[in-house]
Amino acid sequence: MRNSRFNRRSILRGMIGGGTVAVSLPLLDAFLDGNGTALADGVAMPTRFGTFFWGLGLSPGRWVPSKAGANYDVPAHFKFLEGGLDKKTSIFSGFTAILDGRASHPHWTGMAAILTGNSPLKVNSFDNMPSFDVKVAEAIGGKTRFRTIEATPYANGRSSYSSSGGDNFKPADDSPLALYTRLFGPGFKDPNSADWTPDPKVMVKKSVLSVVKDQRDALMAEAGASDKVRLDQYFTSVRELEQKLDNELTKPAPCEACVVPTAPEALARKGDVPTIMRNNEMMSKLVAMALACNQSNVVNYVFTNATSEIYRPGDTPVFHAHTHEEPVNTKLGYQPISNELSQYSVDAFGVFLKALDEIKEGDGTLLDHSLMLGFSDTGWAKIHSIDSIPVLLSGGGNGKHKAGQHIVSGAEPVTRISLTVQQMLGLPVGSFGTQSMTTSKPLTEVMA
Amino acid sequence: MKRIVVIAVALSAGLAACATYGGQTVSSAKSGQSELVGLRRITATQYRHAVDDVFGAGLKIAGRFEPEVRREGLFAIGAGAATISPAGLDQYYVMGADLAEQVLSKDRRAKTMPCTPAAETAADDVCTRQLTEKYGRLLFRRKLTDREIDQRVALAREVAEKNKNFYAGAQEVLTSLLSAPDFFFRVERRLGQAEALDAYSRASRLSYMLWDTTPDEALLAAAEDGSLLTEAGLSAQVERMIASPRLRDGLVAFFDDMLQLQLFETQTKDPSLFPKYNQQVAQAAREQTLRTVLNVVYDKKADYRDIFTTRETFMSRPLAIVYKVPYGAKDAWKPYTWPEPSGRAGVLTQISFLSLFSHPGRSSPTKRGVALNEIFLCQTTPMPPNDVDFSVVNDTSSATLKTVRARLLAHANDETCAGCHNLVDPPGLALERFDGLGQRRDTENGELIDVTAEIDGVKFDGAPGLGALLHDDPRPSECLVRNLYSNLTGRAVEDLAEEAKLTGLTKEFAAGGHIVPAFLKRLAMSPALYSAPKTHNASGAKS
Repeated sequence: MRNSRFNRRSILRGMIGGGTVAVSLPLLDAFLDGNGTALADGVAMPTRFGTFFWGLGLSPGRWVPSKAGANYDVPAHFKFLEGGLDKKTSIFSGFTAILDGRASHPHWTGMAAILTGNSPLKVNSFDNMPSFDVKVAEAIGGKTRFRTIEATPYANGRSSYSSSGGDNFKPADDSPLALYTRLFGPGFKDPNSADWTPDPKVMVKKSVLSVVKDQRDALMAEAGASDKVRLDQYFTSVRELEQKLDNELTKPAPCEACVVPTAPEALARKGDVPTIMRNNEMMSKLVAMALACNQSNVVNYVFTNATSEIYRPGDTPVFHAHTHEEPVNTKLGYQPISNELSQYSVDAFGVFLKALDEIKEGDGTLLDHSLMLGFSDTGWAKIHSIDSIPVLLSGGGNGKHKAGQHIVSGAEPVTRISLTVQQMLGLPVGSFGTQSMTTSKPLTEVMA
Repeated sequence: MKRIVVIAVALSAGLAACATYGGQTVSSAKSGQSELVGLRRITATQYRHAVDDVFGAGLKIAGRFEPEVRREGLFAIGAGAATISPAGLDQYYVMGADLAEQVLSKDRRAKTMPCTPAAETAADDVCTRQLTEKYGRLLFRRKLTDREIDQRVALAREVAEKNKNFYAGAQEVLTSLLSAPDFFFRVERRLGQAEALDAYSRASRLSYMLWDTTPDEALLAAAEDGSLLTEAGLSAQVERMIASPRLRDGLVAFFDDMLQLQLFETQTKDPSLFPKYNQQVAQAAREQTLRTVLNVVYDKKADYRDIFTTRETFMSRPLAIVYKVPYGAKDAWKPYTWPEPSGRAGVLTQISFLSLFSHPGRSSPTKRGVALNEIFLCQTTPMPPNDVDFSVVNDTSSATLKTVRARLLAHANDETCAGCHNLVDPPGLALERFDGLGQRRDTENGELIDVTAEIDGVKFDGAPGLGALLHDDPRPSECLVRNLYSNLTGRAVEDLAEEAKLTGLTKEFAAGGHIVPAFLKRLAMSPALYSAPKTHNASGAKS
């Protein structure tokens, strides 16, 4: 049933009389196998992948469990893991970005190292390299409507670190309404709707795109290397739009877990903590439901960009300023306000994970079928440290993740984590990273 | 003499371009006759201007544009590195389809259709061809190839036959044009290894620099008949375009880019500290600065440097509330002159600069100083070192360091920090009598704010002193010339030879009295500015 497809001719024929096609769907349970681990046609629940980034790290000493291995003690910053999420989450400490003689670009190098495996030459650049989520999306994107979803509750669509190369970063939907409209607005088909009607206009859109795509060869033949990269990105966008249209022309398989959300109201753009946390809650739920409704298998979520400017209402300095300007309280051993603001940031990850874990799917939850990589840009924002950058990996990954462990490293490169995640997701990647960060050693202890 | 020689070379190359590319087939492009040497993504305003100019004003453009990319201080340079993401193309497609429907709506057809179809209920290849040729040329900034036209005629025929509606097919033609790479990207070409760009590319550079839009009929005609590649032909077009009121659009777009006013679209302020800030204030502040600058450089054709000192500006009701000045006018805007005691003069004392380069909850002399150096002096500030103790800056409870100024100076006494802070802080400190929204204040924690400062041994007092200093400093003029140059070429200066060229142009700008339109004319007549980038990375097939 998943492949019931209408060809272009049949749709165009349908348009002649203005007629539409209505298809009734059988009961939902008939589409799951006996024990709920896979669809009735034998296709396993898809594995979903996500990156969750927050800026400015955490307070050193407040996020590293004292115990290594399984059954770690939940540290102060990760209290949101208590109650079960700790068993679904691994914590990685001591992993670092290695510079190889290059400058450490504050708030950039650490994040870039995790995503690309490279210490970039300059800020706001990945040295033209893609972030590894792009390769993941190519591998597990399947025939979902969106190859990836980019979202941020931070009210700035530039908050995105997903790049397919050429130092271009995919823009993010930056409000609950924008995200809802993209995911559940025009073109969305409720997979559990009793009647399914293909939109005849979609087939025409495909014809238009095939005309557009025809210019590819002529342009590529003329272009220089750097322009070729950008043209290729443009035509990749065309292909992804075609894939979206194909998806919209295909009768969707029913999803037990999919409950179509209602549209949120338009909200004023603000950067204070309560607003961003409210946005985060709404957008986490929208993302989770989009994954459950098979709209995409990959999400890149940026809670705040690396130089986070969230603020407490009435407090004049923003988070970034606090991290540099606030003295360490000698009694507490950390910067109290910075600690509070970083707690909000990582609590937001907790909200995100819970939104996934609350959705029952097959024999478990959506989180059990996902791998969500949470990380920041720095080990200690006050001094722009790139040592021991906090990284968490949450979700069962469809049985691929031996979760609930604390993995301690002695300054090994962060690329080991990135490689591990890619291999867990089934990518044929033997090594990852450049120069000293090149590694072919995944962290097998967390791999099932 | 040298210029004439270059033009002669360009002419021969360009005429070849006209002879081949005008009716060029795809195979001729492949054979190496033309080479793509630049792709510049059009900006949101360029998209809007093109739609207005090509289809007529009054169309509703609904949708979200891709974020612009800023490189070397300008979106105009970043456009040469920008692409279109999957989400962005999805948006643009919907926007284009919606526009196509509006353009061919029953009440607009009489104006927008170049022909009348034989029957509204059937395909009409001849009429579709005319429609495709007309709008394709304006949107792609060149004649379409036969293949590009034929495919669209076939598309229209198929859709029209199936729907028994000519206009259903015609709409898809327009949608395909508005979704094509040749519309989203300004494609710059040269023929073979010629130094000069072809005539169409020259027309585009001119049009986007001067009018911020797609080339009009006259400019395309001049490209097609080769006259644009002659000195006389170029001069005629430049004269026409500089004399047009459309020059204002080009200047607004340029200054909006250079002054980074797009930051208003993502700016937030803490409402508990700045309750007067809202979207109306943000929009009005952006417009106020553009009106002020355009009043100097365009309406009065005065000395560019006056933007740092002029007390003449424009006021609207939302701004008057923040500035705390009476506003009795019925009109949305009225001219306004700052009284001298206000301490305001020039664009640096407006809400735009003062609020954009502050924190959401407080002013920042450092942010303002860094922005001033980058925007007006084309000087970038290095990133701070990794391990810095900023603690003193935030210690608002200090009994001795009551003002931001005092705390910042104490911080900058640190040797590691002094180098940069001595460069960026003085102008910012001079603006400290304006808070994070740009409201006037005289004291901080009960202490009078000292706004004296010193740059390169020259002492000055407050915002008016800073404005006067910048007015007489040669660097803002150099920086403006650099930005205008890059706005035309779409790239940063490439080498020392080009730097020398800029120095010469800057001298000409100064000798001409720093008058922007006159200088634009000079710039637009410079053949070297229509050359392919030296750093162009030739295609694999040819290199």
